[in-house]
Amino acid sequence: MPGLIAVAGAMLPLLYLALLVDYAATFFLRTRTHARSPHLLAVVVLHLGYLALWGMHAGHPPVTSTPEVLSVLALATAAVYGWVELATRDRRTGVFVLLLAFLFQYAGSFAMVGHAQDAAGPAAGGLWTRVHVLPALVAYTALGFAGVFGTLYLAARRNLRGHRFGMLFDRLPPLEALGPMAWHALLTGFVAMTIAIAVTPLMFGDGGGTMSARIVGKIVTGSVAWAVCAAGVFGHWLGRWTPARTSAVAVIGFLLVMALLAVSGVLS
Amino acid sequence: MPELLVIGTSHHTAPVEVREGLALAPDAVRRLLAQVRADHAWDEALLLSTCNRTEFYAVPGPAGPADPAADLVARLGRVRPAPPPALPDGALYRLDDREAVRHLFRVAASLDSQIVGESEILGQVKTAYHQAVEARTAGFLLNRLLHRAFRVGKRVRTETALGQGSAGVPQAAVELAAQVFADLAQKTVLLVGAGRTAEAVARALVARGAGRLIVANRTLYRAQQLALDLAGESAGPSTHEAVGLDDLPPAVARADLVIASTGATEPVLTYDALAPVLARRTRPLMIIDIAVPRDVDARLGRLEHVYLYDIDDLDRLVERNMAERRREIPRAEAIVDDEVAEFERWLASRQVAPTIRLLRRRLRGIRLAQIDRYGKQFAGADRDQLEAFTRSMAKRILHHPIALLKHLAADGATSERLATVDLVRRLFDLDALEAEAPAGEAEAADEAEAADETDAADDA
Repeated sequence: MPGLIAVAGAMLPLLYLALLVDYAATFFLRTRTHARSPHLLAVVVLHLGYLALWGMHAGHPPVTSTPEVLSVLALATAAVYGWVELATRDRRTGVFVLLLAFLFQYAGSFAMVGHAQDAAGPAAGGLWTRVHVLPALVAYTALGFAGVFGTLYLAARRNLRGHRFGMLFDRLPPLEALGPMAWHALLTGFVAMTIAIAVTPLMFGDGGGTMSARIVGKIVTGSVAWAVCAAGVFGHWLGRWTPARTSAVAVIGFLLVMALLAVSGVLS
Repeated sequence: MPELLVIGTSHHTAPVEVREGLALAPDAVRRLLAQVRADHAWDEALLLSTCNRTEFYAVPGPAGPADPAADLVARLGRVRPAPPPALPDGALYRLDDREAVRHLFRVAASLDSQIVGESEILGQVKTAYHQAVEARTAGFLLNRLLHRAFRVGKRVRTETALGQGSAGVPQAAVELAAQVFADLAQKTVLLVGAGRTAEAVARALVARGAGRLIVANRTLYRAQQLALDLAGESAGPSTHEAVGLDDLPPAVARADLVIASTGATEPVLTYDALAPVLARRTRPLMIIDIAVPRDVDARLGRLEHVYLYDIDDLDRLVERNMAERRREIPRAEAIVDDEVAEFERWLASRQVAPTIRLLRRRLRGIRLAQIDRYGKQFAGADRDQLEAFTRSMAKRILHHPIALLKHLAADGATSERLATVDLVRRLFDLDALEAEAPAGEAEAADEAEAADETDAADDA
């Protein structure tokens, strides 16, 4: 089984890359923009199988170390995008979202090299750690979407206001669709991050109260990211922020959360 | 005589005064097809008549006219209220067989259109086909050909970007609106001015499902008339109203999309009047100013939620789209080439000679399989008798079908021959046999069987 897992781990980034090429063709050639995408489903199913094998072999859910978390994030990003695509019947944003999934899986597979398959990572602690992990994963995924859709909104808006009919013009969904997508992703990410952070003190007890550099780094970066997302959510609700400003905050929140992930990976 | 030909005229070969002199109304098309059916000059026929082309696709019958072009012009003269105009040299073109197929596929793909990539032509080809079906002048070949042409049109639209992007100012305005608004049915369109261009833009927006319409004009009566007229469109807005120019600021505040096209020499939508109204706005407002001189104060475009475009922007968008369409032409032509080759393969397979060869091969296969199965029960002379018996039986079974096919090849109407060949191929599953048999070996055996068949014919 370890050999099979290693081969599958090496293959997954290539599969995501192939998907990326397929979606890039849709975006640039403007063909099959509303077609169904069986390849995406196939990759998601294969990825699910890979993580199931990994979990069975390791004896714990594959969410205890940074490489595992990255792989789960890639899967979650691809699966949620698949759902969005099914609901909207629109493949035009796929290349951007799947770029994120590809990068997650590429980084995950890269970090996996030399990582013992059955070694539980730092997040393999007790009950509260596990309660923390699920909303944290949702937050990472949702803010990934918020970052992508926010960036697309800002780029499309800039083009439209600047009267530029270039590459992005008519290759993206309308502003009225992108704005709410970024907002809903930001809101979901913020709620999930709030839950994950709320559980943190209890999770900290699981670890025997040891304050490692990794945990300090995560707390600092996570707090800043949470504060930015909170500003975006409450600014939108109470301050009637424009979609452009909310999208800008979504992008910043996304970057901070990626920094959080990097801190977690580097210091683990 | 070719199996298929097209005779016609189009914007490539004739000026508009000639084209309009040859164009037929739907009733006239039906009368022309009824005549064709009545006098049996053509086995099959279809007439495509649009503002840019009049084309007659036909399968000649055994007693077809000696000069098909003259025949067509005479027929047009009989069904038109006025006689056809004198045709300048080169106005009429005629294409046969492969070139006729290619021409139809290019027409259906909108590669031959005046505005390459326009979407109306495929619908016009479909209408022409339905008229031919109703008149019962579309037979075996045209049925197959036209369905293939629809497929080509669809492939080009889905596999290339040839039909994407707007090709005119009204469509460009709709395209711009689609970049901002997710659902036009929920939007309010404000039309400022009731000129022809503004009306065309409004019609394009209404056709795309714009939900609510306000028409503002200096003359309220004209605004009311236009609002009523647009509301009467098949996909008309759910609500409509007319206002005077004095009521513009509140109307702009309610609108999502403003089309401005008055003949005023000063801006009608001024910054001072609208900035206070728009400053409180939280949803996007698109303003398309197609008037020259402009109707909208350019400073309004700096407001947070305002997307302001003028006629130059629309022209640039149209030019950009046309350039993108031109880049797609080679890909569309490749699809046409592919489909022409596929159609030719199909047509070649519906010829008599290869079908007879396959028919013999099918019977030989059945005969040999049965000998294999039952041959063990026979030995020596009995086995020879069995061979001779089955061979003779196969010859006799094949004799009449082959004689009929040969007769159709020599004297039959094209569509009757093709339909018969098609039936024979389906009855004996010859397409599958053709796909599975190694050519060289099978053809040698076919020749031997053919020699036997000749003997059988002599015996008969």
